Amino acid sequence: MAARSVSPGGALLRTSRMFAMADPIPPPPIEGAAGSFFSSTTATVAFPTHQVITTLSSSRKLGDWGLKRPLPLKSTTKSSNPMLRVKAIDTIEQITDYSSATDHGITLRKFQELGIPVTARRPAGGDRPESTTTMNLPQMSAFEEALDATDIHPDKRAELVDMRWKFTGPWLAGMTQGEFNKWLAKEVRPKRPAFRQFLKKKIASERHVAIAKEALDKGQEQPPMVDPSTVTEDELIDYLRKLRHNNQALYDMVGQFLDLAPLMPPDVSQTGLPKEKVRALQFSEVKTPYAERGPPVTHPSAGLSYLRTSMYMENHPIYGPQKYITPVVGRILKPRRQAQATGARIGVAGLIVNTALGDTRFNQRNNPAAVFDKIDPSVEGGAKVWVQPMRAAVDSVGCVVLSVNDASVEATLVAQELLGNAVCLGAERAEDEMNRRETANDLRRRYRAPDSPTTMSSARDYGLSE
Amino acid sequence: MSCRQWLSSALRQCQSSLVQHQQPRLFSTSAPVAAIRDIFGEGPPGTQGNRGPRSSSNSNPNEALHGMLTAGMERGNPLSVEEQRRVMEQHGTQAHIKDMRQNLTTDNYVRQMPRRWRIGEVYSPRDMKPAEMSKWRQGRPPKKDMVDILGFSPLDNYRNFSLISEFVTPMGRIRHSNDTGLRPVNQRKIAKAVRRAIGMGLHPSVHRHPEILRLRRHGMPVAAIPTPADPSQNRL
Repeated sequence: MAARSVSPGGALLRTSRMFAMADPIPPPPIEGAAGSFFSSTTATVAFPTHQVITTLSSSRKLGDWGLKRPLPLKSTTKSSNPMLRVKAIDTIEQITDYSSATDHGITLRKFQELGIPVTARRPAGGDRPESTTTMNLPQMSAFEEALDATDIHPDKRAELVDMRWKFTGPWLAGMTQGEFNKWLAKEVRPKRPAFRQFLKKKIASERHVAIAKEALDKGQEQPPMVDPSTVTEDELIDYLRKLRHNNQALYDMVGQFLDLAPLMPPDVSQTGLPKEKVRALQFSEVKTPYAERGPPVTHPSAGLSYLRTSMYMENHPIYGPQKYITPVVGRILKPRRQAQATGARIGVAGLIVNTALGDTRFNQRNNPAAVFDKIDPSVEGGAKVWVQPMRAAVDSVGCVVLSVNDASVEATLVAQELLGNAVCLGAERAEDEMNRRETANDLRRRYRAPDSPTTMSSARDYGLSE
Repeated sequence: MSCRQWLSSALRQCQSSLVQHQQPRLFSTSAPVAAIRDIFGEGPPGTQGNRGPRSSSNSNPNEALHGMLTAGMERGNPLSVEEQRRVMEQHGTQAHIKDMRQNLTTDNYVRQMPRRWRIGEVYSPRDMKPAEMSKWRQGRPPKKDMVDILGFSPLDNYRNFSLISEFVTPMGRIRHSNDTGLRPVNQRKIAKAVRRAIGMGLHPSVHRHPEILRLRRHGMPVAAIPTPADPSQNRL
């Protein structure tokens, strides 16, 4: 065995954290670069960039995380979730640079508790909300063979463009004009001779196909392949002229040569050309889900969930199979403000989620509970709602776009009963809750004269002194 | 919105009056407050002589409340309990008051949460803390060179007064590159475009362009209508 041949010191090094730690991946783009100048460099980033390490509790007591030196006990033993990210194993100051990684570690754990697959179709991310036309379309798992081809022969890359998610070239629709100009000058212009060679190969193969077809018709044996070097410069120039009048063929050639990510055909208004000219353009249909929003930076599942489908049923020990997967509690991070025309922001499993459109509680105006409109500081732990996670997708930046819907009332009740907060069948306790008389304390609170200081902004304005 | 604003501040004043000044100030001689007392018909006898012209507007409670707000309340002459009860009676039920109070509370909290959450972001408890939230309150100059990103030539855009205005302070001075975030080459080009626009009389040298001021006054976005890009010209 290969492992035997390694010296003891070498084996120790191989299994040490120093060599087992993955290199950090590039962080998500800072929002400040996107035109919004409000950002924080210390906020939790949208996806983890460093590996999260953990250790056993007995080792943690000793500060042993498998690193070069033991970590300080004071800052690593208090958390109930031992998760760290190591930014540098050893710095010039001879310290190990580490910080807590519970933010992303717990988020992943919570996401996996949801039990939903990661889909690959039309994720809505960033500022673009999901549109009504795409919200209820059936979603495909990111692991479907039709979408997830990674081991592709270089010659077949062009044919299998709809199955791929990784491209060496850029996604042109996501580039700004300046980036595009720079890319043209730096990357594309030096490749001119190579492109001519590429076209010559194309001409040769087209010619071979024509000759072979003719030979087949005449019943002769197949001719040999046409040598690309036999294509003259004049023929190439003629071919180029023909290409210029066929936009789709030209884009296909350029896209194959540079391995560009697929693009959505533009609308008439997007082209900025007169209608007659747009009519002359022809576009082929695009089947890949990444043409509209750009290809993902990671595998489309981001390794979050390996489920292929959400079409499974949960079985309750008493009530039997359940129609819905167990709903979860979502936190209302920001209430809906009509003055600023901003909707409520809801967090589920540590992610800001996409709420469903249409006639859902998130969108109703006259919600009796008004839980989406008001902040009630007397609610311990903040306002929460039960939501039904529908699906998740990873957008082109790498953010997880989780879509939720209203939770069914029955499913919520069953879930609450599992937590011990409600009673389904034995309805006495629930009835008692409904018929509960006001206690003397409630009455006292209601009729007590409000007491607040006369300062401009008081604790009362934050609902704290009732 | 504005209506709710001043109603809620009235509410705050009313609440404050309840606590510290359980007894109405009998000898308040401030005319507006006296006028309000007159409206409610409860003014102490000593202020009878101060009746102003507003005493005739007894029938309109809105006006009464407004007068109370605009004139006397800021000076710390709160209403008596009875007056406050009357205001509340005239201006809605207890539920309405409660609703207003909740709105005020919500507004106050929302003001402490400047971060605009985007779909797909990850949050942890630390992100809700005031120290972290306050970082989202103040804008920072752009880290990247906007001219390079957008790939336009500043000198070709000297007639674009919206663009020129972005690189000029409200006092008409050219913004420093610390604020604009441009690299020296582009900062010089932008500065030249600003000087050219001002020198040709296309842009005022002391303040914003009047057209921008007009749009702002009407609450319209300055760059509302994107013009289709002309490929022949290197314009924005």
